[in-house]
Amino acid sequence: MNELVTLHTQALRGAVVPAYLDKLIAALRAARLNNTYPDRRRVQGSLETMKLAMEAGLYEQVYVDARAGLPNMASFTRVLTDHELAGGSLARMSETAHYEQKRDEAEVYARLLDKRRYFEAIQGQPHAPLDEHRVQLRRHDPATGTAEFRLDLTKLDATGLYVRITIELTQVASAWRRKVIDLDADGESAAANEAFHATVYRNASYDAEHLFIHMHDIEGVSVDRVQRGVIGPVLFRLPHEQGPVVPAEPDQGNPRLGHAWRRWLESASSDEPELLMCFQSDIAARDVREEKSNDPIEDLLSSSIQASERARYQHTRERFPFKVFKDRKFVVTRGTEGLVRAVCQAAGTKNLIYRLR
Amino acid sequence: MSAGSKSLSDVLARDVAYSGEGISVRSLEDNIQEERNVQDTKVSELKVLRDRNVVIQTAMADELKKLRKFSDYIDGTATKGGFWAGFKEVVSYIPGFKSIAISKRSIEELLKQQYQVSAKRVKEAAGYCDVLKQSEQELYTEINRINGKIVESAENEKRALDYVLDLRTMQEELEAELQTIEAGSVEARKIETDQDRIRALLAEHSTNVQLYGAAENRYASLKENTRKLAETIRNLAQDIQQYTTAASIKLDMASAQIQAIGRAADASVVMLEMKKSLDVMTESMNVTTQFVSDTQIFFRQNLDKLVEELETFDEGTSALLDENLKKSKEIEEARIQSAIDKAMKSREKQAEGGGASAPAEG
Repeated sequence: MNELVTLHTQALRGAVVPAYLDKLIAALRAARLNNTYPDRRRVQGSLETMKLAMEAGLYEQVYVDARAGLPNMASFTRVLTDHELAGGSLARMSETAHYEQKRDEAEVYARLLDKRRYFEAIQGQPHAPLDEHRVQLRRHDPATGTAEFRLDLTKLDATGLYVRITIELTQVASAWRRKVIDLDADGESAAANEAFHATVYRNASYDAEHLFIHMHDIEGVSVDRVQRGVIGPVLFRLPHEQGPVVPAEPDQGNPRLGHAWRRWLESASSDEPELLMCFQSDIAARDVREEKSNDPIEDLLSSSIQASERARYQHTRERFPFKVFKDRKFVVTRGTEGLVRAVCQAAGTKNLIYRLR
Repeated sequence: MSAGSKSLSDVLARDVAYSGEGISVRSLEDNIQEERNVQDTKVSELKVLRDRNVVIQTAMADELKKLRKFSDYIDGTATKGGFWAGFKEVVSYIPGFKSIAISKRSIEELLKQQYQVSAKRVKEAAGYCDVLKQSEQELYTEINRINGKIVESAENEKRALDYVLDLRTMQEELEAELQTIEAGSVEARKIETDQDRIRALLAEHSTNVQLYGAAENRYASLKENTRKLAETIRNLAQDIQQYTTAASIKLDMASAQIQAIGRAADASVVMLEMKKSLDVMTESMNVTTQFVSDTQIFFRQNLDKLVEELETFDEGTSALLDENLKKSKEIEEARIQSAIDKAMKSREKQAEGGGASAPAEG
């Protein structure tokens, strides 16, 4: 299960699947996520649905992104399509009592009973989107044509991470200028235009600082705050009779963490499932007091920029009155706690580390 | 009545225990109709599936058209002007993409949307499989029940036949005995009374011979049709499973590529590479569309033929039951006529012999 079955994809099967999903669910609960991050209940709902589907025997495997350690797009799409089809399927299926009565008669009835119970269990339950956009109007002054908006994008990113981006911006309307956000006739609801939406979507993988500068460059728009919350990467070591199951490409998730993880694996011998889950937050805003990274595995753009680009970068930053704060919290099992503490110590950061019981 | 008396009372008093519910032309017809209703229900389910199949096929053909066009345009082969010349037309095929320039939308996002639509279509098609497997199982349960009916009818027919033969033997013995005693005597009248009772029993049980025999044959035909229906459904379910499994595996394998290529396309790095990714998804959709298309042919070739056969069977059953009814009536009439003939002969005999006693009326 440690080998790739296709690009960046591992297939987890058998007993390791519930162990893996249980740990992810527990880690999400333990992480105490605020609204910077993708909705915890919905992501958790999708993971629970995956677990139910595996228990019902609907799928043989869960596909996991080998870099991010999270279930991949195929796995999250299964949950979405199952939710979409659950109502119709239930309407066409026989009643539960019918299958219960006949379950010993033939295998098909037992299977349909499991499937019916699965659809009943997931119907109406929260589940994570692949992508979701929302635009909220925060304030509108028709007299000056000024409107303040909050853009919210949740995305299962191509990096395999679950990302939520919140952008607070002010738009000043003008007859000759194309608006990035359109208000309806009553001035009560808003929608980002396609180009602006696509710009945010395309740049979702980049950090808040990058997004702030990019958005702020758009004419008629003044960005107040860009906030990113990222679920993942996840590193796991799941005991298995043929050797522990681990992510195949941890270095591509985060090189610094991947390197530390590989070294930790060399001496790991626990019989318990071990997990390390990251929750990064990244803010670029006018109200951030001090520019700082408390993220032990990702530096600020300013500290990693090449010398040749530094002057241009400084000039760009001087144009925009904002500061950046990066942070990362971790959820760990007993076995991985030492690893995370060592990584934080090496980086000189003080991070929240929640231990799973 | 010498040795025959005991035997006669035994035969007359015998309780012929037929298994199951009693039988009549009406009840047989009702039972056959009941079994036919089960078949009709299954055929109706198949007809609903056929209708859903049409809906899904239309949707999938549409999706596939979009994907193929998209793929062709990316390849630069579909238009003389190459990729960009046709891109705007292409994107108008993608959900939510109408009349928007490609630069305004994220390729990654649109590919993810298309991926989700494709995955849903494949799953909808796979949903047939469960319905069909349940139907198949129910039909095999029905076949078991029909088999029980066939055996029961065969056993009852044998019981009726045995009894009819006993009655006929007894009837012959009584007839022979009647010849040895004086006509119109008390003994003769007693024998005649017994003969009437035997005749009544013969009428009842010879009808049962016919009905149980007919039931056995009808149930056997019904079973044959039910078996054909079950096999039709099983073949269809197997085809569906094969196609949808292949399509869903392709989609599962394509998901990471879809994201990676979408992202790369957004970064304007490897636009042409996208074609490979799209080809995988197109192939998956193609497999499923092929399946839906095949099932249309399957439905046309099998379901319609089957329905026709079942309807013919219905007509045949009704005709046969009508014929049985007609024959039973003729036999009854023949019997009555025969009894009248006999009575007339007896009267003539007595008239010639001086008329010791008047012949029975009627």
